[in-house]
Amino acid sequence: MNRNNIFIHLALALVLVLVAAFAGQLNKWRKQWKPAIFVPMEDKKKAKTAEDISLSETTRSLGAPEILVKFKSGVSQDAIDRLTAERNDRVEDRIENADGWEAIDDFDNADAATLVKEYQQLPEVEYAEPNYEINLDEAEAGPLEPILPRDPQFNDQWALANSGQRGGKKGADIRATLAWARTTGSGDVVVAVLDTGVDYNHEDLTENMWRRPEKMAPYHDNELGTIDDEFGFNAIDGSDPMDDNGHGTHCAGIIGAEGENEVGIAGVNWTVQIMPLKFMNASGSGSTKDAIEAINYVIDRKKAGVNVRIISASWGSTQKSRALGDVIRKAYENDILFVAAAGNSSVNNDRTPHYPSSYDSPNVVSVAALDRHDALASFSNWGVKSVAIAAPGVEILSTWLGNEYEEKSGTSMATPVVSGVAALILAEHPEMSVDDLKKKLLASTDPIAALKGKTVTAGRINAAKALE
Amino acid sequence: MAISKENAVENARKDLAQRLKIDTGDVKEKAVEDTDFPDMALGAPEEDEMSGQMITRGWRIKLEAQGQTFEYRADKNQVRAYKFKGKNYRI
Repeated sequence: MNRNNIFIHLALALVLVLVAAFAGQLNKWRKQWKPAIFVPMEDKKKAKTAEDISLSETTRSLGAPEILVKFKSGVSQDAIDRLTAERNDRVEDRIENADGWEAIDDFDNADAATLVKEYQQLPEVEYAEPNYEINLDEAEAGPLEPILPRDPQFNDQWALANSGQRGGKKGADIRATLAWARTTGSGDVVVAVLDTGVDYNHEDLTENMWRRPEKMAPYHDNELGTIDDEFGFNAIDGSDPMDDNGHGTHCAGIIGAEGENEVGIAGVNWTVQIMPLKFMNASGSGSTKDAIEAINYVIDRKKAGVNVRIISASWGSTQKSRALGDVIRKAYENDILFVAAAGNSSVNNDRTPHYPSSYDSPNVVSVAALDRHDALASFSNWGVKSVAIAAPGVEILSTWLGNEYEEKSGTSMATPVVSGVAALILAEHPEMSVDDLKKKLLASTDPIAALKGKTVTAGRINAAKALE
Repeated sequence: MAISKENAVENARKDLAQRLKIDTGDVKEKAVEDTDFPDMALGAPEEDEMSGQMITRGWRIKLEAQGQTFEYRADKNQVRAYKFKGKNYRI
């Protein structure tokens, strides 16, 4: 090789190195650069469009396994392969470090919910769930910007956004404004408010009230006969579930007063369906029998196709009823969460149980109350074994009879906060099972010193964490 | 229709007189105080009664008859006998 050739080779090598370096930098710039897109409030509120959903489905059909299935121990790999092949599916992957879990892909483009249902019915299957997609763009987008609604009394809703108003502790809230950057709820989620009924004509509730679908047959009760349940169910006498006390309307507003309507307050969900159930009278009390009737109604409607996934129960007593415990378990078997007030007697529920919040059913979430300083409310029951979680429950502003708004206190008020957060989770993950929903709630708290040794989670519910 | 404090005391006196089988005039008002009750059954639930777990503003009524003190609890919606011979009654 002569001297000229050496120079030519060196020059070529240098050019190649420079080209490679420049290409690498270009790629880095591409990853870093994101167009600043202004998203108007109206668009943020919108539920997923058909276009969004079809895009998601397309992505899934291009290769991501659609569901995760856990087969019972003893079911052989041959049997699993046969079961999937019979359904024109295939085992995409065995999940390492998770005994018995298989990722299943479907060749027929069936949706994940249908597949989950199909597999859950197989005797060989212990559990099936959708393979939830994780959107990297969201994770890369950085911290969420809080969303503030234009409801005129929102500033008094310290539970949702505590700015230190009226001497409270700044930040002692459920981080609702951050949660709303992800979702403000869904009209597909139905929450049953088992209470004194609901004023379904209230200006801040009427748009979010459940109505029996026209095609659905009216409810039939063996004792009460056929009932016109257009607006919900009244277990006392089968009549209208209109609230004649105010308590149920208050709880309903906490869960789902219409947000961003420039009227009154915002609920934890701006959009949701509230199903009114009346079993307590005008004084705010009712019988175990009527509570059971109302829960049976919810189960019946669920079976008939209503997407009712949560019962919010802001009531109780120290009397245990096996029949009530059984029907709550029946609700669990029908994938319905049961959120219940821990009680207001300042006692330890581990020693003095309060029902229904102390029933040992996997779907029960018992809720204690916090004040605006993040202290356990002076009246609230607690229980490191029996009370799951805490939420704001003192001086809570919400809807009241006759288009009014009132501040009320009690574990009654803390309970619908948690029910509301559960509804937000379901808005994002409609197929989530009741077990996973409860797990998600209990894993979505901010630690509170005052709750150490007082509740299972020792934390205040955090709506933004619940949606991560 | 909402019950006033005066109505609540009067209803309580009548009820106690009936239970003790004495004249209403023999039931004396000892004390009436505004208070917060822990729930909507005013902390005095009857057997098999569930109630809303909301702090409820009302009145604690102390009455005297036959040398004994009896407690009633009331709010704008109801009057209750508290632990009369060990049991609660909604009147």
